[in-house]
Amino acid sequence: MTQAAATAVPDSQPGPAIRVRELRKDFGPVTALHGIDLEVAPGELTVLLGLSGSGKSTLLRCLNGLNPITAGEATVLGQPVHGMTSREMRKLRSRIGFIFQHFNLVGRLTCLENVLIGASGRISGPRYGILSYSRAQRREALTHLSRVGLGQHAFQRADSLSGGQQQRVAIARALMQKPELILADEPVASLDPENAANVMDLLFQICLEKRITVLCTLHQVDLAMHWAHRIVGLRDGEKVLDSSTATLSREDVLNVYKQLQPEAAPDGTTA
Amino acid sequence: MKTATKPAAEPSESPGNQAPDFNHAVRPPFSRERFVLWIALAAIAGLTVLSARQIDFDLRALGGGFDDVANLLERMLPPELDNPPRVGELLVETLMMALLGTVLATIISIPLAFLAASNTTPHPAVQHAARMVITMCRAIPDLVFAVLFVRALGIGVLPGILALGLHSVGMMAKLFADAIEQIDEGPRDAVRATGAGRLTELVSAVLPQVMPAWIGTFIYRVDINLRTSVVLGFVGAGGIGFALQDALRGLMYQSAMGIILVILLIIAAMEYLAVGLRRTLLDPASDGAAAPAIPGPSVRPPWTKGRTIRALCAAATLAAVVVSLIHLGIDPLAPIKQFTDLVTVFGRLLPPSAEGLEGALLKAVGETLAIGLVATASGAALAIPFGVLAARNVSPSGFIYHSARAVILAVRAIPELILAVIFVAAIGLGPMAGAMALGVGTIGFLGKLVADSVEEISGGPLEAVRAAGGGWWDVLFAAVIPQALPQLTGHWLYMLDVNIRTSTVLGIVGAGGIGFLLMESVRTLNFDVAGSIILIIFFIVFAIERLSAWISRLFR
Repeated sequence: MTQAAATAVPDSQPGPAIRVRELRKDFGPVTALHGIDLEVAPGELTVLLGLSGSGKSTLLRCLNGLNPITAGEATVLGQPVHGMTSREMRKLRSRIGFIFQHFNLVGRLTCLENVLIGASGRISGPRYGILSYSRAQRREALTHLSRVGLGQHAFQRADSLSGGQQQRVAIARALMQKPELILADEPVASLDPENAANVMDLLFQICLEKRITVLCTLHQVDLAMHWAHRIVGLRDGEKVLDSSTATLSREDVLNVYKQLQPEAAPDGTTA
Repeated sequence: MKTATKPAAEPSESPGNQAPDFNHAVRPPFSRERFVLWIALAAIAGLTVLSARQIDFDLRALGGGFDDVANLLERMLPPELDNPPRVGELLVETLMMALLGTVLATIISIPLAFLAASNTTPHPAVQHAARMVITMCRAIPDLVFAVLFVRALGIGVLPGILALGLHSVGMMAKLFADAIEQIDEGPRDAVRATGAGRLTELVSAVLPQVMPAWIGTFIYRVDINLRTSVVLGFVGAGGIGFALQDALRGLMYQSAMGIILVILLIIAAMEYLAVGLRRTLLDPASDGAAAPAIPGPSVRPPWTKGRTIRALCAAATLAAVVVSLIHLGIDPLAPIKQFTDLVTVFGRLLPPSAEGLEGALLKAVGETLAIGLVATASGAALAIPFGVLAARNVSPSGFIYHSARAVILAVRAIPELILAVIFVAAIGLGPMAGAMALGVGTIGFLGKLVADSVEEISGGPLEAVRAAGGGWWDVLFAAVIPQALPQLTGHWLYMLDVNIRTSTVLGIVGAGGIGFLLMESVRTLNFDVAGSIILIIFFIVFAIERLSAWISRLFR
C-alpha cells in the first residue's frame, strides 16, 4: 500500500468542510475545550490524536450539535452549528455520518433495519419494520451492507454479530445517509488490533473512494500515520499539534501522548 | 491506489456477496416464529373485540360513563369527614392488618422458600410440592380467602389478616425462593468444609446473601397489602372498607369521598415510606464509612449509619407487630384454636358441584375473561403513551415528564376495587363498571412498568438516530420501540394476568364477573358451589400464567 499522505488533498469544493474558531466547551465548572481553531478541507482525512479526556470526543460531538457549544463558532458544511432551529440541525445532521465507539446499533433489529435507520433524516415520517421502507431504500441499504462485506447477514439480528462486524454495519448505516462528512469517535477502541486495522482500512478506503471528508479520533498512531492526510493533536482541551502527515515523524506524533509535568497536572477534564 | 482491504479476520465471507441477488434479498425471509406470533396477536385482538361485544363495551358508552362519573364526583364534593375518631381508629386497624398479614406471610414463606429453591430443597419431589402450594396461594385472590375466613371465623380483623397472609405467600415465597436460587454457592461450600451442619450452612451462608432481596420483597408486599386491606371491609374482614361501604350504602357520597381521600393519602404516604426505606436499608454504601475506630482491639462491630438504621427499623417493626397484636386483641394462636372451624368451612367446599348452575357459571367465566381482556386492551392504549412520556430519556420535555409521572402516580394510588365501587355507583351494576375500573387502573400500573423499562434501554441507538438527523418520532420508532418491545409485551401479558385475576373478585362490589356468584353461594351457604367457583378461578389464573410464560418465551 502506498502512503496516503503522499496523495494530494482534493479540493473540488470551495471553502473548508469544517471551520472552527475559538471553540470553547464547558461542562458545568469543568472546561473541556479551551478555544480550539481547526480547519478541514473537503475530501481530507484528518485524525485527532490525544489521551483519553483530552477533549477529542467533545470536539466531534460539538460539530454535529450532540453537545451544544459554550463559546466560539463552528461552521460545518457551510452551516454555523450554533443558533440553529432543531429542524435545520436535523437537516445538517443528515449530511454528517457519525460513527460511535460502541456502534449504537439496535441489537434486536436485523442488520438491514439498522442500516435503514441511517435514512431517517431524509425520509419523512417514522418507520417501523423492514416492510415499511420502500423497495428502493431496501435495495440501497443492501448495497451499502454488501460494500462493507456483510450482504449475506442482512436479515440476521445485529447483536448476533462480532464487534468488528457490528462496527461495519454502523459504517453502512452512516453511508446510507449519503454523507458529505463522516465524524468517527474512536471507531475501533472496543475492537482487537486485527479487527481494528480491518475496520479502519475499510472506512478510510470507502471515504477516499467516495471523496467523503473524515474527522476521526484514534489511538493507533500507526494507522493514523498510514491513512491520514493530516494529524491534529489535542491535550487537555488545547491543540498541541496540527500538521500534514507527510512532514511528521513518529516521534512528533508520540509527543502528543507525553504526560504534562506534575505542576501542570491535568485538571480532570472529561471527554 | 489502495489494495483491497477485505477483512482478513472474517474469511467466511465470499466475494460473491459484493453482487447480491437484489430481487430476492430485500424481503425478510419467512420465519415460523414470526408467523406464530402474528397469529397469536390476531387471536388476542379478535378475542378482545368479541369480549367488548359481550359486555356491551363501546366507545360511546364510555363517553357517557365518564359523564356519569363526573356527575357522581360533583355529588361527592365537597368531601366530608364525619366521626373522625372512628375513621382514625379504622385506619389504624387497616395499617395493622396490612403489617400483620405480611408478617404472617413472611413466617410461612421462609421455610417454604427453602423447600422450593432448587439448591436448598431436600428432594425434587418436595420442591415440586412446595412450588405447587405457592402457586395455589397465588391463584386464589385475597378477597376470596377473606370471604371464606369471614364465614368460618366471623366478621372481624382476624379473617382479613389470614387472607392477606395466605395470598401473599404466593408472591413472597416465590421471590424468596428465587433469591435463594441466585446466591453464590462458594460461601456454602466454605461453611460445609468447616464441618458445620445443614441448618448452620443455611443460616451462615445462605441467609446473609438473600437478606437484602427478602427485605425488599417484604417492604414491597406491605405496600401491596395496604392497598388490599383498605377494601377487605367490603366483605366484612375489617378495616376502613367497612366505613366506606356504610357511607356508599347510605348514599352519603360526601363522606364516602372524605374516606376515599383519607385512603389515598395513607397509600401515598406508605409508597413514599417504602421508597425511602428501600433506599436507606438496601444502600450498600451506608456501611462504607465506618465509625471512628475505638483504640485497641474491639470485638463489637462499629455503629455505622447502615447498622444503626437497620437496628432501629428492626426494633420498630417488632414493636409495631406487638402493639398491633395487643391493640387488635389477637391471640397469635387463634388460627390453631379455631382450626376445627377452618377445617369445617374448607371441608364443605368439597366435593365441588355446580348443580343447575352450569349455564350461569359458564356465562360468568366468559364475563370475567371479557372484562380482563377489554380492560387490558383499552387501558394499554392509554398506558403505553403515558409510560413513554413518563420515561426521562425519551420524554420531549421536563414538564411533560413530570406531568405524566404525576398522572401515573395519582392513578396508582387508587385500589381497583375502590375504582370499581365508584364506577358502580356512577353507571350502575354490571361488567361495564368493572371493565372501566380495571382500564383506569391499568393506566397507573402498566404506565409505571412501561416508563421504567423504557428508562432502562440503552441510550446509544437513540443518539445514533439523532446523529443521523432523525427527529423525536424517528427516535421513538427506530430506537425506542424496537429495544423496549420484549419488555412491553411481557408487561402487557402480566397486566392481562393481573386484570383477569382482579376481575374474578369485582363481583364482590357488583362490577360483573364470577365474584358475584361466589359471594352469593357463600352467603346462601352453598359451599359446594363456592368450591367449584374457587376451582374455576384457580384454573383460569393458572392457565393465564402458563399462556403468558409461553408467549414471552416466543417473543424475545
